Amino acid sequence: MTSLFASIEDVVERFAGQHYICNRTIATVVYLASHLRKPILVEGPAGVGKTELAKVLAGALDHELIRLQCYEGLDESKALYEWEYAKQLLYTQILKDKIGEVIAGAQGLKEAVERVARQDDVFFSERFIVPRPLLRAITSPAPVVLLIDEIDKADTEFEAFLLEVLSDFQVSVPELGTIKARHVPLVVLTSNNAREMSDALKRRCLHLYIDFPDKEQERAIIMLKVPGVAARLADEVVGAVQAIRKLDLKKTPSISETLDWTRALTLLNIDTLDGALVDDTLSTILKYEGDIRKAQAELKEHVAKVRATAAAPAVTAPEKDVLH
Amino acid sequence: MDAKIIEFVGLLRQNGVRVSFSESMDTFRALDVVGLGSRLGVKDVLRATLVKRSVDVPTYDSLFDLYFSGIGEIVKGAESRSMEAMELDPAAYQKLLEDLAKFLEEQGIEPSELTRALLQQDTARLEQLLREARDRSGAQRIERSFQEGQYSQGMQQQLGVGDVARELQHISDALGAGEPDPRRQQMGRFVDRRLQELQEMIRRLVRGELEQRDVGQRDAARMQALAEKSFYYLSEDEIRRMKEAVTKLAQRLKNVLAVKRRSSRKGKFDVKDTLRKNLQYGGVPFKIRFDRRKRVKPQVVVLCDVSDSVRNVSRFMLQFVYSLQDLYSKVRSFIFVSDIGEITRLFEENEIHQAIDQAIRGNVINVYAHSDFGRAFRMFHREHLAAITRHTTVIILGDARNNYNLPHEWVLKEIKQRAKQLIWLNPENRMTWGFGDSEMDRYQPYCDVVEECRNLNQLYRVVDRMVVG
Repeated sequence: MTSLFASIEDVVERFAGQHYICNRTIATVVYLASHLRKPILVEGPAGVGKTELAKVLAGALDHELIRLQCYEGLDESKALYEWEYAKQLLYTQILKDKIGEVIAGAQGLKEAVERVARQDDVFFSERFIVPRPLLRAITSPAPVVLLIDEIDKADTEFEAFLLEVLSDFQVSVPELGTIKARHVPLVVLTSNNAREMSDALKRRCLHLYIDFPDKEQERAIIMLKVPGVAARLADEVVGAVQAIRKLDLKKTPSISETLDWTRALTLLNIDTLDGALVDDTLSTILKYEGDIRKAQAELKEHVAKVRATAAAPAVTAPEKDVLH
Repeated sequence: MDAKIIEFVGLLRQNGVRVSFSESMDTFRALDVVGLGSRLGVKDVLRATLVKRSVDVPTYDSLFDLYFSGIGEIVKGAESRSMEAMELDPAAYQKLLEDLAKFLEEQGIEPSELTRALLQQDTARLEQLLREARDRSGAQRIERSFQEGQYSQGMQQQLGVGDVARELQHISDALGAGEPDPRRQQMGRFVDRRLQELQEMIRRLVRGELEQRDVGQRDAARMQALAEKSFYYLSEDEIRRMKEAVTKLAQRLKNVLAVKRRSSRKGKFDVKDTLRKNLQYGGVPFKIRFDRRKRVKPQVVVLCDVSDSVRNVSRFMLQFVYSLQDLYSKVRSFIFVSDIGEITRLFEENEIHQAIDQAIRGNVINVYAHSDFGRAFRMFHREHLAAITRHTTVIILGDARNNYNLPHEWVLKEIKQRAKQLIWLNPENRMTWGFGDSEMDRYQPYCDVVEECRNLNQLYRVVDRMVVG
């Protein structure tokens, strides 16, 4: 069992060990969350690594990751627990004879019902409960990381219900009583801001906004995740992507798409962005025809600019070779 | 530090950031864990615990900088300004300070605390003195920009700037005495500068205090004013901000709608589905199924007058409708002045604002003609009537000022018979309808809803009713 984070630097280090590059802000919030035992609400544009953060957190702490994917219409029976009716039914069928024994010799209907009633907690025991992610996180014997993904997609009623769970980390199952968490799980909620979360929920969480990474960070991510990429290509890709993100696009390229693009370019043995093939690979980062057209123009300009500044040293280098 | 954070929380609240008591408690617990070691660390901690809406982040950032480093920045700024003005690099500047200290010692001059801090560039001490003077003079209570002078004055008195000026004058005189010496002249210039710098620092500090009270408030007030402002009188800058406001409102409407839609989801008992679902329980109805009420997404046809007088309203109406496009199954839009033209394709192929710009610049129809509603309606009837089905909501946006042409209101009658509803939005004041060349009275009887729509709030209400109803 790996221990909690010792310091903010420790967070950065251990995340790096999981191949996740994070800045100090992220590390600070993670450190706080692990020590204050408060949920983190992560917001930000799609594809900046919100979900990844939870996975990495689980990896860094060596905890199990339990994931609850939210969607419209998600309710308690899908998130918390459900009675396994079919199994209960099956058991009653199989145990028909046994039930016959129990009520054998009962004086009248009333007594028979009494006798059955005395046995009914057999059918409402943990044996017949299907634990869903929330209950699993609470009853887990080892500490876990609970990822509640895309909470903005869930209904407001579910949010209210979640509030209860997150504040006490206990749930009450009417037939079984209250189940308290053995270990308070580390909770990460992510939201794409499809709708504003309620203030009550936000109040209980630490808030973290992850934006697109800056140049150096994105470059570091590429170098880490795409082994064998040329440093020069990484520079150019990052420069181009950052410029493209500034355009007014329907969908801005995310980090994972930057990585895809770099991989595609490496695979095609392209080591600079002014080749003819590059335009064709743009579809890896942009998913709309209009966006691609806009980006092509921007890319040309960008490459030209880079060439202009880099031209001088690029020319002098071969000359030196000749001299020697 | 605790008191400072409590005050900072108060400041956030003043600027419209909602911070609850439990959140400020969290901040203290969090600071206990992380410590006050680094400034950036503290900033991250406060941000994670206090600011939960991303729209509040810019306000928070500027407030944090103003509040926690305001004075320090001001003092440091004064230092670099001095250095620049004297054309000295840091080392030479330091040397000058040392020489000056030596000179004062030789002359046996004992400067007061503030003067010493000023001349020795004792940043920490200076900061403290300024902060004390600020607290004593009550500069935090500043609310309006015209009070800047008054509070600067108060701070100068608290600091005893008059005495400092006399002291500096005295030192400057002492430096000037005797035969001219370039080094001494340089020191003299420095001493003279420092008084100006002190006054500058005070002025900036008071301004900073004012800005702290003002960051969010100003924005909120401006937005409010914008929402009530008539579309007729918008400046370029306001049009730009109005675009943002429309985007935000559209987003809000979507959210509201999503909730409303969900709450009306459960429908009638569904026998077929219940039987099927309960087959696995041997036909015992463990689970009751209800049918999901299918909501027919409304179709919309928009007819926008884009003549001079109503162009702005049309612009925002179109933006609104297209921002909400995914709430409708189909949107078709037309613009007219005296001809009518369809711009649906334009919106499919271009980004909203570009499409609107192109549409009202005259690429589709002649926008400089005189309005002729009758003619435009007749053209619509001839060419596009098939666009209207019983699921269609038709929205006509225009002032109905027809230049005394034939109104052809029979077209509206037919549209109304075919459509689900017909809405007319008029950007003119209701009082003026029907006067002059306004044909509103003739058109009105054929419309299901007629609304005045002169500013953003009215527009919002109309669109709200349209998508919900």
